[in-house]
Amino acid sequence: MSSGRTNPTIGTRADGGARQLYRRWLDHTVFGASFIGVLAMIAILLIVFAVLIHGAWMALTKIGWHFFATQAWNPVTDQYGVLAFMYGTGLTTFIALLFGVPASIGVAIFITRMAPPFLAGPVSFLIEVLAAIPSVAYGLWGAFVMSPWLQNYGENWLYHVLRHVKLIRVGKYPNNHYAWFPANLVHGGPSGSDFLAGGLILAIMIVPIITAITRDVLLQFPTELENGARGLGATWWQTTRLAINYCRIGIFGAVILGMARAIGETMAVIMVIGNTDQVRASLFAGGQTMSGVLANEFLEADHPIYLSAMFYVALVLMVSTLVTNMLARTLLSGINRRN
Amino acid sequence: MPEMTEPFPFRSQNLLRRYISRAFAGACMLATLLALTIMFVVVGYMILKGVGSLNIAFFHNLPLQTPMGMRNCIIGTAILIGLAGTIGVPVGMLCGIYLHEYATKGWFTVIIRLVMDVLAGTPTIILGVVCYELIVVPQKHFSGWAGAIALALIMIPIVARATEEMLRLVPLAAREASAGLGASPAQTLLRVVLPAAKSGIATGIMLAVARVAGETAPLLFTALGNSNEVYNPNKPYPSLTIQIYNYSQSADPAWRHQAWTAVLVLVTMILIFSAAVRFAIRGKKFSQI
Repeated sequence: MSSGRTNPTIGTRADGGARQLYRRWLDHTVFGASFIGVLAMIAILLIVFAVLIHGAWMALTKIGWHFFATQAWNPVTDQYGVLAFMYGTGLTTFIALLFGVPASIGVAIFITRMAPPFLAGPVSFLIEVLAAIPSVAYGLWGAFVMSPWLQNYGENWLYHVLRHVKLIRVGKYPNNHYAWFPANLVHGGPSGSDFLAGGLILAIMIVPIITAITRDVLLQFPTELENGARGLGATWWQTTRLAINYCRIGIFGAVILGMARAIGETMAVIMVIGNTDQVRASLFAGGQTMSGVLANEFLEADHPIYLSAMFYVALVLMVSTLVTNMLARTLLSGINRRN
Repeated sequence: MPEMTEPFPFRSQNLLRRYISRAFAGACMLATLLALTIMFVVVGYMILKGVGSLNIAFFHNLPLQTPMGMRNCIIGTAILIGLAGTIGVPVGMLCGIYLHEYATKGWFTVIIRLVMDVLAGTPTIILGVVCYELIVVPQKHFSGWAGAIALALIMIPIVARATEEMLRLVPLAAREASAGLGASPAQTLLRVVLPAAKSGIATGIMLAVARVAGETAPLLFTALGNSNEVYNPNKPYPSLTIQIYNYSQSADPAWRHQAWTAVLVLVTMILIFSAAVRFAIRGKKFSQI
């Protein structure tokens, strides 16, 4: 610690300050490189949006908001509407959440609050195995194992259970007046390749992600509250309900994150959903999702407005996952801030 | 007084509480059992159906030869991941370094994190669409490069997040010691912090690789798949996942068997990778360098 190191800004060393210069150059280079990396990442996102908007521009100007009010998707007559695909994405996501969320929360509660330590680790690991399986593998399993099973057994049984359940759908009289009509929740023959199959395969796929986050969130439930509740005579479930209530924002964030995953999922869904461009109220009807129509028809779009409409679908998909992801992020960051 | 002589209503309420508690505990166990069953059914079918065509020829032959194999697809996927990593890992690491080392509290950092989250949550098929428009259309042919870049875009946010988290785990004392010995911030970063965090960052990279190895959607419009032995990234590129998808759409049972075997091989590789990651995380504690 002698002369040379007391003031690094003055070159008092024998090498005339070359070393200091090198250090300063290194500092600037590392900073500059990492800054360029960050700029590159920002640029990528901007480019993604720019490409989508540029590609969709013709459709945006020609079809505009009408895109969201048109059910028909018919490239032959140049009719393009995203409604059928939004319906498909929405319905499959809803089914996925309906089955996936209670199961995930149950598993997370089991891992954090019921299982003995020797069981909690392995169960967590086995659930995470579900996350490691690629979506095309789920698709293969869904198409060749789950769909045949649904067609032969599952949907027959479900038909008998649900055949009297009525939904309400919007329909049109011959005189072009809209009205509400009753519709069966299940009708048409069980095919195995339908909204139900798409929703179920998504349910399996979102379980590991929701479970993992819910587990981490539930672990943050303070011991004092737990002990206090038990001391006042609360049962296990009453305490657990307290924990769920305490962690509700985080759990909600986990659910929204799972929802974003389900909305963006492509391969597994297109392999089981039947790929027909229609809006049907039945669970047993084939359909199509936004990501699915991209995967199936993007390369077949042979005239400009068709291709542009595909980009429009991509833009709608991008914005909807963006919104859900932002929502999840806000909810989950609130959790971090609280702790 | 009735309160003293009639404990019955209280007791019945207690019993009810207890039964409800038991019922919900049972429901949670049932959910776990169901999830585990599904896991075993999925993995079990992959093994059961995939093991039939699992032989030397699968790893040695090409799709159009008899017996059928997928050598080109396995190698193609490996090269695609390698190319994607070459592009994505440096950018991701630089972003992670910036976020931890240089980012200050302010609007710019907020934007960076926002961009990172948005990019991480972008449906992968959209990245495929974008790479198609930017690379395939100008080149006028599908190419391995386009696929590799699409995969790289998926890797960037994963690697960035892992790098940032691993840098955070390096104890402050190490930085202070380094600075106290006269190292500049960059020297501290390059010679002390990064070496200390390197196994953690490697783990993050492996996670990103495991994630990218199973991606199909971004390759549909970019790499396209190839049944021949082509390893030039300027050509349509063979990939395991694309081949699985193509085989699954065919009616030929032999092709479907190939698809199951390919899934088995792919999932085995990814699981081994993930297990190795978990093992590496368990082995390393960042308290000491």
